[in-house]
Amino acid sequence: MSRIEDVFLKIGSIDRRWIFLIIAAVVIVPLLFPIGLPIRATATTKHVYDAIERLPAGSNVLLSVEYSPSTRPENHPMTISILRHLFRNNHKVFITCLWPDGQFMAQDALNQVAKNEFNKVYGEDYVFLGFRPGNEAVVKGIVSNIRKIYTVDVYQKKIDEIPLMKGINNFKDFDFLFSSSAGFPGTIEWVQYASDPTGVPMASGVTSIQVNEVMPYVQAGQMVGVLAGMPGAAEYESLINQKGSATSGMDAQSVAHLVIVLFIILGNISFFIERKRSKKY
Amino acid sequence: MIWKRQIPILIVTLIGSITLFGWFIDQPTIKEFVSDDATQWFDILASFAIILGALNLIKLQVQKVLYQKPGWIYSVVAISGFIFAIIAGFFVKGVDDSVAQWGAHVTTEGTLFKWMFDYMFTPMSATMFSLLAFFVASASYRAFRIRNFEATLLLVSGIIIMVGRVPIGSVIPSWFIMYLLVLSAGIYVNVWKKNMTTTFIFVAVGIAVVTIAGFMAGWPIDKPGIFYLPAIQEWIYYYPNVAGARSIMIGVGLGIFATSIRYILGIERSYIGE
Repeated sequence: MSRIEDVFLKIGSIDRRWIFLIIAAVVIVPLLFPIGLPIRATATTKHVYDAIERLPAGSNVLLSVEYSPSTRPENHPMTISILRHLFRNNHKVFITCLWPDGQFMAQDALNQVAKNEFNKVYGEDYVFLGFRPGNEAVVKGIVSNIRKIYTVDVYQKKIDEIPLMKGINNFKDFDFLFSSSAGFPGTIEWVQYASDPTGVPMASGVTSIQVNEVMPYVQAGQMVGVLAGMPGAAEYESLINQKGSATSGMDAQSVAHLVIVLFIILGNISFFIERKRSKKY
Repeated sequence: MIWKRQIPILIVTLIGSITLFGWFIDQPTIKEFVSDDATQWFDILASFAIILGALNLIKLQVQKVLYQKPGWIYSVVAISGFIFAIIAGFFVKGVDDSVAQWGAHVTTEGTLFKWMFDYMFTPMSATMFSLLAFFVASASYRAFRIRNFEATLLLVSGIIIMVGRVPIGSVIPSWFIMYLLVLSAGIYVNVWKKNMTTTFIFVAVGIAVVTIAGFMAGWPIDKPGIFYLPAIQEWIYYYPNVAGARSIMIGVGLGIFATSIRYILGIERSYIGE
C-alpha cells in the first residue's frame, strides 16, 4: 500500500515540463487523427440558427467582427459559419469592426466565403465598412447615423456610391445583428447601446471565457442566443451541415479536457496522501 | 489655475449633466447632441488618444534603451517593430495604386502591412494565447485541491463544465456517473464507519440498484438527466452562473453610477491630476 502511495506522491511532484509535453501530445494527436466524436447542438446555438432561418430572404444583417488572431480558433469558425448561413439564405451582409484586428479577420472570412464559395458581388450582396476607433461611441454612432461614422468603406469607396448602402441610415435599418466577439468592446456594448434600445434582434458568438458574462442577456431575452466558444462554433457547423476547423478542434479539446481532469484527480490523491502522512507524524 | 482646474471641471459637469439628463428630456437639439455630436467628438478624441498612446509607448521604450534599464534589449525589438509598422502603414505600400489605394492597403493581399500582420503579428499573438493551455493544465494540477467545502464545490463544478461542455461529455452515459457516485459514496462510508463489511454492503447494494434500474429503463445514455453531464453543465450555466453574473453586473452598474455622479458633481477630480 505504501509503495502505491509513493508512486502517487511521485506523480504529485512531477516536473511541470512533463505536463506541458503531455498536453502538447493530447492536443496534436487528435488534430492529426480525428476521433469524430458526435456533436450535440445546445439550445442557445439552436436559437441563433433558428433566428437566422426565420429571417425573410434579402434581410439586412449587420455582422460585427471583434476579435484578434489570439482567439481566432474560437471566433473565426463562428464568423465563417454565420457568413455561410447568411449567404446561403441570400441575405445582405454589412460588416463592421470594433477592433482594429477584426478588420483582418473579417477580410479573411469574406475572401473565403463571399468570394471563393458563394461568388457574391461586393456592393450588391455585401459591404465591408471596417474599423472605426471609439468603442461604444461607434456603436452609438451606428445607432443614430451610420453615415456620419462611415463616409467610406474599407476600400476607400464612398458610402453614397455603394448600391447596397441605399436606404441604410441607422441601426434600425438592419433586421438582425450578429456580433463575433472576444471581449471589450463587443457583444455587451451592442446589447446595451444598440439592440436593446432599438429592438433589433441580435445574437452573438463569444469565447468560452466570455459566456458567463453574456449568459444573463441571453436568459433575459435581450439576445436570441449565443455560440459559446469553440463548442458553440462546432455545433453551428453541424447545424448548417458544413464541417470546419471548429469540428476538428473539438476532438483535441475533448481529450485535453479529460487529461486536465485526470491531472486534477491525481493531484488530489497525492494531496490526500501527503496530508495523511503529515497527520501520522 | 482657472484653465487647469475650474474650466475642465465645468466642462465635465456640463457635458456629463447634458448626457445624463438628455435621456429624460424630449428636446431634439439635446437628443441630437447626446446621441450624435457627442459620440462624434468622442471618436475624434479617441483618434488623438491613439497617437498620444503610441508616442508615450515609444518614449518609454527609448528611455529604457538609452539608460540601459533591465530588459532594454526587448525595448529595441519593440522600437524596431513600431518603426517597421509605421513604414509599412504610411510609406511603403508594396503594391501599385491599381491594386490598392492608401488606406485599403492595410487589408489587401500582397502589401507589406498585410504581410506583417499575417506572418509576424498573427503567429506571435496566437502563440502567446495558446501558451495558456499549458499553464491552465499545470496550475489546475497543482492548485485545484479539495481543501474545504467551497473548494470541493468549485472543483466538482469545474470538472462538470470541462467535461460536459465538450463532445466527449455527451458520450458518457448518466449510468456511468451513477456508478461513480456509488463508489465515491462508498469511500465516504468507509471513512465514516471504518468497517469493510458495511462499505461492501453499501457499494454492492448501490451497484445492484443502479444496474436493475438501468436494465428496466433500457440504458438510455441521457436519462436520468440529473446525472447526464451535458444537462448538468447547462443547468450550471443557466442558473448558478447567471445568478452570480447578474449580481456582479448590478454591483458594477451601481459603482459606475456612483462614480459618474462624483464626476458630474466635481468630487472626483483624478482626470486633472488631483
